[in-house]
Amino acid sequence: MSHSTHPDCEPSSTSTLPEQRGVLVVRKHHFLVRWSHWLNVPILLGLILSGISIYWASPIYQHKPDLNTGNFDVAADIGIWICAHVPGEHHYSSPSDWIYNHMSLGPGMLAPALRVHWLCAYSFMLNGLVYLAGLIIGGGWRSLLSRRDDLLDALRMFRYYVGFPFAKLTRRQWLHPLFNTKYNALQRAAYFSVPVAGFLSVATGWAIHKPMQLHWLATLVGGYNAARVWHFWLMWIYILFVVPHVILVFGDGWDTLRSMILGWSMRVERPEVVAK
Amino acid sequence: MNDRENGDNSLRPKNEPPTGLEPEVKSVCVKTPQSFFGERPLPAIEMAPRVLRYQSRRAFLVFGTGALATLAGSAFLLPQETLSRLGMGRNMDSPGKEWFLNRALRIDDDVAEALYSANRSVSTYTKSQITPLKNNYNGATPDPGYISGWRLTLDGLASGLSVSLDIRNLANLFSLHDQITRLVCVEGWSAVAWWAGLRFDDLLRAYPPMSQAKWARVESSVNLDASGNPDPYFMSLDLATARHPQTLLATHFNGQPLTVDHGAPLRLLVPVKLGLKNVKAITNITYVAEEPRDYWAERGYSRYDGI
Repeated sequence: MSHSTHPDCEPSSTSTLPEQRGVLVVRKHHFLVRWSHWLNVPILLGLILSGISIYWASPIYQHKPDLNTGNFDVAADIGIWICAHVPGEHHYSSPSDWIYNHMSLGPGMLAPALRVHWLCAYSFMLNGLVYLAGLIIGGGWRSLLSRRDDLLDALRMFRYYVGFPFAKLTRRQWLHPLFNTKYNALQRAAYFSVPVAGFLSVATGWAIHKPMQLHWLATLVGGYNAARVWHFWLMWIYILFVVPHVILVFGDGWDTLRSMILGWSMRVERPEVVAK
Repeated sequence: MNDRENGDNSLRPKNEPPTGLEPEVKSVCVKTPQSFFGERPLPAIEMAPRVLRYQSRRAFLVFGTGALATLAGSAFLLPQETLSRLGMGRNMDSPGKEWFLNRALRIDDDVAEALYSANRSVSTYTKSQITPLKNNYNGATPDPGYISGWRLTLDGLASGLSVSLDIRNLANLFSLHDQITRLVCVEGWSAVAWWAGLRFDDLLRAYPPMSQAKWARVESSVNLDASGNPDPYFMSLDLATARHPQTLLATHFNGQPLTVDHGAPLRLLVPVKLGLKNVKAITNITYVAEEPRDYWAERGYSRYDGI
């Protein structure tokens, strides 16, 4: 290639290597956003695993004790069912502990689970502040705000994702909806909701943790017991978010995953952007 | 990241072919006025492939190291029982691990202590909001035989004497206060119950503790372990909390004298603390200067337990 880029934007290293063309990249994620994003992985894992161990001590959902097993915990019923119906689990020694042995730090571990939970909870709050700072400093917060026609666009994206495997199987052409923003409407909704869920988890967590000094906080969500229910179901938002999040990142490609580590993306010319 | 930004070029619109060749690139790079909430175009930067490769390598090394450190940190911090379940045979328990997790617990206790205000009352309820309260004795429930010979002894008093009171002395000396409050267990359940008893503060006024005392050690010597053997229950309570107007030495539950299930004849009711601080069947209160031992703190729970 005979051309060269503008001299004023050329990194000094290329001037000594005239045969190398500069690569255009776009900066996608501020480094505080990237770090706090990845730190969420161990922190949320620790919170969920220890949280389920804490749940074990006093399950929210209970029924009358079972005549055979004495079990009253609805969550433990799932494990009992698995041990009864899943081949290879028939000889499991304590079916009522199955769910806690596989989905938490373990049953009967309230004290260690609480210590892990507090450690992760304080880390989660600090990390959330770092994430917010990264969004503000890097200006990324604007890309998370919903727009006026997002509801329709989100439905189009949803239709695209749902129809995608079917279109692949039938070898039909299945076009990605066009958009000229950093995220599509569905992503915006998800990336905005998850931090909100994080905030609500922290708020309901404090309501449960300090129900006397912060009783107004529990009152806001309908009382102490309601705060526990909120706190429990908010956990499912992360689980339900992470599954498609990971699948779609891998589906979208290496560049998207890499941009959350490196900060920049090489997708400068996106066909959908040019087409619009 | 030390990405190089370069003035106008960084604002190249995205619908331009990104070759950097076009002479008009500079002219279209003018930043158009936008609303405050409007999305800005992602800044494009031109980098030498060598710099890019160097930065990628560095970022991956840093993130890879971070991931390994996190994995090692989790192995270090998780309870030994969980690690054994995951197939780690080696005992990872160490003084460092205990210290670190207790540090996190201590921070949480400090937060609780900072939140505490002697002027703030806990919510009270009406009789229609009362819920059943289970007997949550950790071990066996003591045989009610102890009740007839029961006495409360007070030590660490300003007078230097040891005081011994029976339930009739307490009833004659102090006035009863009614209170319908929520008892919150560390396990997560809670119950709204109607209590009556004397104020701990009144006892402190009648039998003042020695001047340097900051803590009370509240003990039940009749407590039993799961197999029914004596297992004295002892608990630390800071005197500021003891003086809280809603901290009672309860003698009545739901309008009746306490039953053995609920710690007859005298139990502590401290609604600003978790249930495990609400000692049943108190037999001794000792005022001390330094924080005394605590039954559940020795079993891995928090010491302060303010809620």
